Amino acid sequence: MTALTMPEGEAPILEVKDLATHFFTRAGVVKAVDGVSFSLNRGEIIGLVGESGSGKTVTGFSLIGLVDPPGRIVGGSVKLEGQELVGLDDAGLRKVRGARIAMVFQDPMMTLNPVLTIGQQMHLALAAHERVSKGAARVRSAEALTRVGIPDAASRLDAYPHQFSGGMRQRVAIAIALLHGTRVIIADEPTTALDVSIQAQILSEMRELAREMGTALVWISHDLSTVSTLASRILVMYAGRIVEEGPTAQVLRAPRHPYTAGLLRSLPAMAEPGTDLAQIPGTTPSLLNLPEGCPFRPRCERASELCAKNPPMTRAGERGYRCHHALEEAVSA
Amino acid sequence: MSEAFISIDDVYKRFSPRLSMADRIVSKLGARVETRPVRAVDGVTLNVERGQTLGLVGESGCGKSTLGRMIAGIIEPTSGSVRIDGKPVMEGGRKADTRIQTIFQDPFASLDPRMRIGDIIAEGPFAHRLVDKSGERSYVAGYLERAGLDPSFADRFPHQFSGGQRQRIAIARALAMQPDVLVCDEPVASLDVSIQAQIVNLFLKLRREMSITLIFISHDLSVVRHVSDHVAIMYLGRIVESGPTETIYTDPRHPYTKGLLESVPKLLVEDDALVHFKPIMGEIPSPLAPPAGCHFNPRCPIAIDLCRSEDPALRPLGPGHCAACHLAQ
Ligand SMILES: Nc1ncnc2c1ncn2[C@@H]1O[C@H](COP(=O)(O)OP(=O)(O)OP(=O)(O)O)[C@@H](O)[C@H]1O
Ligand SMILES: Nc1ncnc2c1ncn2[C@@H]1O[C@H](COP(=O)(O)OP(=O)(O)OP(=O)(O)O)[C@@H](O)[C@H]1O
Ligand code: SF4
Ligand code: SF4
Ligand SMILES: [Mg+2]
Ligand SMILES: [Mg+2]
Repeated sequence: MTALTMPEGEAPILEVKDLATHFFTRAGVVKAVDGVSFSLNRGEIIGLVGESGSGKTVTGFSLIGLVDPPGRIVGGSVKLEGQELVGLDDAGLRKVRGARIAMVFQDPMMTLNPVLTIGQQMHLALAAHERVSKGAARVRSAEALTRVGIPDAASRLDAYPHQFSGGMRQRVAIAIALLHGTRVIIADEPTTALDVSIQAQILSEMRELAREMGTALVWISHDLSTVSTLASRILVMYAGRIVEEGPTAQVLRAPRHPYTAGLLRSLPAMAEPGTDLAQIPGTTPSLLNLPEGCPFRPRCERASELCAKNPPMTRAGERGYRCHHALEEAVSA
Repeated sequence: MSEAFISIDDVYKRFSPRLSMADRIVSKLGARVETRPVRAVDGVTLNVERGQTLGLVGESGCGKSTLGRMIAGIIEPTSGSVRIDGKPVMEGGRKADTRIQTIFQDPFASLDPRMRIGDIIAEGPFAHRLVDKSGERSYVAGYLERAGLDPSFADRFPHQFSGGQRQRIAIARALAMQPDVLVCDEPVASLDVSIQAQIVNLFLKLRREMSITLIFISHDLSVVRHVSDHVAIMYLGRIVESGPTETIYTDPRHPYTKGLLESVPKLLVEDDALVHFKPIMGEIPSPLAPPAGCHFNPRCPIAIDLCRSEDPALRPLGPGHCAACHLAQ
């Protein structure tokens, strides 16, 4: 699948290494993102999954350089087409953001301005990065809206956000992110608040976009099923770290990390209707003053004394996991 | 024929917009102000047998919560009736029966932050003389345990608990009223997957151990399949299909049910599993002005002329299975 979109030897469009973002709060240090590494190729869709508070959103914000105090990127590197973004000043970041890398949020009103028409905001978004006439802006805006499945786009440019449904607003936010031929879009739970029939429409449109325009996507979601229909690779995040990664189907079929395995087993789709679901005991940990060692240890049935030391990322081919006692590799049928 | 345990008979609920003074004035001056009522529930007839779990599913705004609140006796139907065990759930605009309890989505909003857990749970039963002061502690402890919580939690406050624990507390409080019917409105929607599993298991346990009748409202089709005996699918205020859970999921007959099931992302574990979503086209029309005839007709891939003029009635298609579609068979 990746071979289709990634000619041999092409450099990744986004390369993230040991990214760490901490919040220095009065109560202590919250290590929201603590050593995240991955790379993304042109046209590739990668899924970033994990439960609430695991650090997905903070990772997304860190990639586009939008971390506000008391948070700070304390280490690592984010390279967009070879250009280092960590440490770039505001002016430099503004040039990149919205033009080459953009973020789409669960709530499209984070992007949209309620008092401007869609056409006005799209014109502004274009003008932020290039000189463009009003007429040309309208043409390009209508094109972008059409690409995300908004019918009769030209005539909708004069409408205000509140005149659109939630699903349509999200499409507009995605269209704005696409305006400049953006290379990378970080999509943070963009369909979570939408109805399944609308979500399905948007998911299939996003796949088309990646294929046709070569836009690469980091798709953040807590829903493994959604990610499995969309992403060729998956990153499973727990307590600020990637604990497992690999080709989506392989990871979901045969997880190596006990947390991934537990998550999968707890899904209703994995059990006979009416039978008890497998549970992961306990709750997700607070990232405040997280103790040394594997953060999954208090909930893990495989934990041993060894797990008091933090497991490093073990890599085997395309797979990777952070666990001292990884589950067996599946015997391939 | 004897009446079902819960009998919902041709129930309608319309919400008229509450116009502000300014709206009223500008509308008199001819400005366009929305004055049409929302047709939240538009003629629902449904039966639930004692001890069964009915899953109520549908997309946002289709009227699930409104129907749930009418079953629970929280709001009154505009017309039609809801009867439980032969008695109307509302009398003279008030909830007639304490044997119906409700659990809501947001476990944070539904618990008074200033009250101890023990008092939160005991308040209702004490007021209704289900327990007296001397028996209160052990009564509370019993229901905490039933909800999978430690009895010592009785002395703590809500903010000391996680989302999943708070939802258990809300469940313990509802159970302590010894209800016959529990209406659960999106009880796991705000919880993480791993915590969701714990609460789903709790519902399964209640079903096994108590003779409780559950109305389980959710937009999550896989959770509903897991806990329900029967399922009713709603679209724009109407039930479009209902039947035994497995029948609905494996042999849906209504085009909307089929489209909805197609739209749910499935967990794919095959390499190169190319998914062919067949999303339902278009958007959900406004409940202010649902389309004439079958409400689904503008989005339906097989609609015929008749669908644009005639409401399809819910017709029986098999044991306990009905669909409201002119073409379903
Ligand atoms: N401004 C802040 N100050 C302190 N801690 C913060 C701040 N913003 C985020 N955090 C912490 O960082 C951690 C990661 O949060 P993040 O929002 O990235 O989680 P998430 O995986 O996106 O969760 P969700 O699924 O709920 O969106 C959390 O523990 C959160 O409490
Ligand atoms: N108190 C009210 N006043 C006016 N309109 C209302 C009121 N309550 C609900 N509605 C409207 O009635 C319709 C049905 O709402 P309801 O909350 O029952 O839907 P739902 O299926 O529960 O949706 P969701 O999945 O979003 O919870 C919606 O259009 C809603 O806006
Ligand atoms: S390192 Fe140890 S505690 Fe952590 S997931 Fe692996 S076995 Fe469990
Ligand atoms: S009645 Fe007609 S429009 Fe409605 S679902 Fe059936 S075929 Fe489609
Ligand atoms: Mg988030
Ligand atoms: Mg609702």
